[in-house]
Amino acid sequence: MLVAKNLSKSYKEVKALTDVTLNIQKGELYGMLGPNGAGKTTTISILSSLLKPDDGKIFYEEKSLYQNLSECKKLIGVVPQEIALYEDLTASENLKFWGTMYGIKGQQLQNKSDELLEFLGLADRKNHKIKTYSGGMKRRINIAAALLHDPKIVFMDEPTVGIDPQSRNLIFEVIEELHSRGLTMIYTTHYMEEAERLCDRIGIIDEGRIIAEGSLDELKANSSIKEEIHLEYSNPNKNGLEQLTDRYNGQLLVNDDHLILSSSQANSELPELIQLCSQSELLLDKIDIRSLSLESIFLELTGKSLRD
Amino acid sequence: MFTIALKDIKQYFKDKTAVFLSLLLPIALITIFALMYGGIGKSEKSRPINLLFTDQDKTNLSQEVFSTLDAEEGLKLEIKSYDEAETLIKKGKRTAVLVLYKGFQDSVETGKKIPMELFYDEAKEIEMGLLQQALWSNLFGVTMKKGIKGKVNTWIKDKNPDLSNSEIEDIQAQVAEQFEGFNNSGEQSEIEENSELPMTALVGEKKNGNLGLVQAIAGIAIMMLLFSVSASGASLLKEKEDGTFRRLLIAPVSPSGILYGKMLSTLFMAVLQLSVMFLYSWLVLGLDIFINLPALILMILCAAIACSSFGIFMASVCKSRKQVESLSTLIILVISAIGGSMMPLFFMPAIMKKLAVISVNYWAMEGFFDIFWRQLPLIDILPKMIILLGIAAVLTSISVISFRRNLLKMV
Repeated sequence: MLVAKNLSKSYKEVKALTDVTLNIQKGELYGMLGPNGAGKTTTISILSSLLKPDDGKIFYEEKSLYQNLSECKKLIGVVPQEIALYEDLTASENLKFWGTMYGIKGQQLQNKSDELLEFLGLADRKNHKIKTYSGGMKRRINIAAALLHDPKIVFMDEPTVGIDPQSRNLIFEVIEELHSRGLTMIYTTHYMEEAERLCDRIGIIDEGRIIAEGSLDELKANSSIKEEIHLEYSNPNKNGLEQLTDRYNGQLLVNDDHLILSSSQANSELPELIQLCSQSELLLDKIDIRSLSLESIFLELTGKSLRD
Repeated sequence: MFTIALKDIKQYFKDKTAVFLSLLLPIALITIFALMYGGIGKSEKSRPINLLFTDQDKTNLSQEVFSTLDAEEGLKLEIKSYDEAETLIKKGKRTAVLVLYKGFQDSVETGKKIPMELFYDEAKEIEMGLLQQALWSNLFGVTMKKGIKGKVNTWIKDKNPDLSNSEIEDIQAQVAEQFEGFNNSGEQSEIEENSELPMTALVGEKKNGNLGLVQAIAGIAIMMLLFSVSASGASLLKEKEDGTFRRLLIAPVSPSGILYGKMLSTLFMAVLQLSVMFLYSWLVLGLDIFINLPALILMILCAAIACSSFGIFMASVCKSRKQVESLSTLIILVISAIGGSMMPLFFMPAIMKKLAVISVNYWAMEGFFDIFWRQLPLIDILPKMIILLGIAAVLTSISVISFRRNLLKMV
């Protein structure tokens, strides 16, 4: 469906993308996981023709993007990170406008707009202005505006940013439904749980490079880490945490009330960890050994947390 | 409290261009108004007023009148036939014409009513005031002197038919010495009556000739329209800030298509605003908008095109809405002041009058004056419409280039 070869992009001295290569299959939901500033939005901007790469080639259904720009643009739908809607227009008016931009008219546009509003659970609010919507509702209309022209591939750039868990779940359900209908999607996020839940394949991106790629199982299989030790503590002792971080350099994630240690052999490492916690005067409330997460894989690959 | 103040000050200084413009605006306005009301321009030699001169008498005395008036610093004379002069005045290019009819010299010398007339444009009220001052003192200086001499000559000859010419000249010389004593005599009053200069307005005596109304409507309409279109043009930058601009660029629409779409909506709003203003002026203020409806419609369209291209130009050259607000306020107030929207152009010093031709206000207002005041036919108003379209073409071309350079790089 989409082949991008060796994409590179720099902004003056800053390298935003280096040799990014993607091969997205039809019907695939590809996750691009990386921290803020990793290059996810730049990649989406280049793939959607908004930015031109300094190097590299892009093909949609084997057609070069820049040689068939108008044709390829019709294949693409983009759900931008920001709410790119007109706040003073109603949901229905917004959808009609964006549909018209893609050449859909008349009854066809009306039907498509109604169908999407129904699908997204907003049919009863279609004549209300966007500015009266909640954040989650705006996000759903933001998605609808990208689907009006029946694109073959949809880029979703962090579509759940800034919304409550309930609205996030609603959006996940929408994405899963679209996926089940066979829509090809590229989904960028810095939430590992989103990538884990939704994506067929995940590309981990950091500092403008894809540093690992594969299904969740493949990524786990390729990692030297097998498990995670979760330790919950009640007294965040700064010196103690620093000692632990020094000892487990690049393996330990420190959060407000818990630690996650990436481990290849959790059972054998646990006693030493408990002893060190005791020496560091950290009062442990709970100890848990879990299977490997993307967070730990990212930590292993980059030496930093996804939240950094 | 201080933290909030400090934060606000920091934010204010973040956009250096906007800061610069916000400081430049009052400076520019102070300069313009200082030039208008005196101050800086006070020492400057005042600009002479153009007076057309039609000599149908072609005698020594009519030549003497021309030379005397031409020597006056406050006047600049041009000899024209009456028809040429009438056309120039009706088109608003000259203020007045002084016509000396056949028999001018004879009438002066024989003490009859002097055949002369001043035709003028009532719109140029202030210029006329100054012109009259310069004209009266010089013109009547010549006619009074000759008139008195002629009267005295006739009287002496009538009373003393035997006197020789040299004797008559002696007597006249003695009379001239006593000239001051004539001041309130009946003879002088009669000469003054004969020397009366009839004044006829060539422009402004027709129906619907309310000059102040035309000035107010045209001036304010264009100035307010410029403010509206700037805000409308700034919506392009709002789209950028809101992210809808990126979405538009991703859609299969060309960037120029987006720009022209914005121009079209701005144009629609400009036409609507001007139309409503003129309809209001008709319904409430009594302006006869049907006096030349085709010309008015075309003029509204041309003014709206020029103004909307200005709005898009502002959006294309600025990088933020704050910049558009500051820069457009500055430019609009300046061009409105020099273009005559705020007050009649005659208040301006010569340099400002020359600068006025670069402003949309000037050409639009002149066009509306042609329709409502001078009541010219469409063909005579067309050049002003073409100039407005020319301004629009230049601004649009710059906008397209700037749009590609600035806005597209900012996505």
